[in-house]
Amino acid sequence: MEGRGTPDRSADWRRLAALAVALAAATAVDAALDPWVSHASQAMVYLLAVTLVAYRLPWNWSAGFAIAAVTAFNFFFVPPRYTLEVENHEYMIALATMLAVALVVSRLAASSRRDAERSRRDALRARQVQALAVELADAGAGDLLALGEAALRESFESVTVVAVEPAAPGASPSSGELIDALRCCTREAAVLGPGSPRWPGLDAWYVPLLAGGCALGAACLQTAHGPDVKLREHAQALCELIGQALARSQLAAAVRQAQAQSERERWRNLLLAGVSHDLRTPLAVIVGAASALQAQCERLPETERQRLLASILAEANHLARIADNTLQLVRLADRGTPLQRGWESIEEVVGAVLARVRDRDPARRIRSHIPSGLPLVRADAVLLAQALGNLPDSALEYSDGPIELAADAAAGGETLRVEVKDRGPGVDPGQLDALCEPFVRGDAVSGRGLGLGLAVCRAIADAHGGALSVRRRPGGGSAWRLSLPLEPAPSLGGAT
Amino acid sequence: MKVLLVEDDRELRALMQGSLALEGFTVRSAASLAEALALLAHDPPDLAIVDLGLPDGDGAELVARVRRTSAMPIVIVSARHIEAQKVALLDAGADDYLTKPFGVAELLARVRVALRHRGTALAPAVARHELDDLRIDLVARRVERAGVTLHLTPTEYALLARLTRSVGQVVTHRQLLADVWGAEFTEHVHYLRLYMGQLRAKIERDPAEPRHLLTETGVGYRLADR
Repeated sequence: MEGRGTPDRSADWRRLAALAVALAAATAVDAALDPWVSHASQAMVYLLAVTLVAYRLPWNWSAGFAIAAVTAFNFFFVPPRYTLEVENHEYMIALATMLAVALVVSRLAASSRRDAERSRRDALRARQVQALAVELADAGAGDLLALGEAALRESFESVTVVAVEPAAPGASPSSGELIDALRCCTREAAVLGPGSPRWPGLDAWYVPLLAGGCALGAACLQTAHGPDVKLREHAQALCELIGQALARSQLAAAVRQAQAQSERERWRNLLLAGVSHDLRTPLAVIVGAASALQAQCERLPETERQRLLASILAEANHLARIADNTLQLVRLADRGTPLQRGWESIEEVVGAVLARVRDRDPARRIRSHIPSGLPLVRADAVLLAQALGNLPDSALEYSDGPIELAADAAAGGETLRVEVKDRGPGVDPGQLDALCEPFVRGDAVSGRGLGLGLAVCRAIADAHGGALSVRRRPGGGSAWRLSLPLEPAPSLGGAT
Repeated sequence: MKVLLVEDDRELRALMQGSLALEGFTVRSAASLAEALALLAHDPPDLAIVDLGLPDGDGAELVARVRRTSAMPIVIVSARHIEAQKVALLDAGADDYLTKPFGVAELLARVRVALRHRGTALAPAVARHELDDLRIDLVARRVERAGVTLHLTPTEYALLARLTRSVGQVVTHRQLLADVWGAEFTEHVHYLRLYMGQLRAKIERDPAEPRHLLTETGVGYRLADR
């Protein structure tokens, strides 16, 4: 609440006592000086007292004191002494002048006090506005109204702020009339209430939360002091800040949405282009082999027929993997599907992956070293199997020689690491980002691959709070590492 | 043996029908849920193969309908990435599943296993199982590897016995937990992980690349039968 407390009794008594003391002091000084100075000097002492009083107290008090001082001077010092009669008309002029000076000084002091008070209040309000602006700039979209309401509460007894679009929490309209007026104020984007041209009969101000000419909501403000233009302007300034902050946050949300949309769009186009490119080669092989079987079946030797059939099968399975990876990547990018997390054993997942990958590994190049007793991980088994399958898939595709698949718990049991080591061309850690873009494949390697494999692998690692990394191996090749965070596993309550 | 094949894709349907017919099955095929229901009522088959995505409804409805009146084996055909749906159907009474794309050999193997287990509710369940060097005898309560009797804890044995009774078929996590630990433990999948790990360590040559106790990722386990 702002200053101007109600005048109370004890303050009045204190003032009265102060006046009595001032009057007594002036009289005492004059009495002491009486043998040596003229009446003019004695009048000056009273005038000094009047001036001091006028400087400190409201004008009605100082006027009263001036009259009292003139009366006291007249009574104690102006001949005939100890009467209120005035012998010489010259004294009348002195008395009248004293009164006038007292009144003038008092008026001046009062107006300067008022100016000081006003500028103090203006400064306070300016600080409030500034503070609110800073707070709103830092605040999240959900806190804007609450902050605005808190700032308005510093100046008003009762404050209700509502945003109209969207209806934000924090708005607790207590009556239908209130919400109607707030809606009306928002619609008209103008101040309603006392002192304004619209609905001056209302008992509260309704101030729109303006932003660029239209209102995003309104505030209902109640004050005990009646129409005060300055206060209303202050309220308008605060409300405008809130309105602008609301508009900013709405705009930011719209921009974010548009960005996400365009990112999705870009992603989809990339995916589409990549998929259609990656589909062509296996399709060409399938069509070629199948049409050869159809057209030349009898003339082909049995071994060649078997070879063509095998390549149709292999290419079709390759297509299926591309479809799986594409679908998974789209899902992960959309973040719409939640992970189906459960307690999974890495030994099991690796086992399932190897069962699938061995078809393409007739020479058994992959060797796995999974120690028993690894802790369980909290993961989506299907995704984990896909991520772990893609690493040996691409190792088989891009390298010759043995491939090692190993797992261990690291970092004091906080991380589970699965490593796939190949003897391929070797990839530097810096190349990983590029390789994880969908459909980028290792250059310097002829072969095609899973343009999506690493992208999917990394997306799955990220979704689990883990990471995919790679480093060059001494002696050639790369070591791909999938790290997953470990959580304390639930205890076993069952019998053995 | 009569097989009802419910698949809406014409090519896939023709392919499966041809393969099954070549193996001596009498195949009736349906391209929609309505057609399948009509065939079921008219001429009940010995086994149904049901695709999950049908134009006029969900294969799940068919499974529920069949299970109300019949113990006929049902094999589900589905796309990948809908493990939750598969699990729900297996728990609701389907016998096994195939994930597209699948090979003919896989299809025939699933059908054979499902028919072998037909009527296990009445006839004695599989009591002996032998594959490679593993021998399981549920009557004698004995498990041997390469002629050596293995010492299993009661829970390990119960788990292996449950899988043996459905050898060749997938058994969901929920079914295993309910049958081995009890109905109130169906969410405790971590029990399964740990005991399967122990079992594999005792039974498998290379537990990381199991020959017998196969993992059906996101669905359950299968004791290999071939």
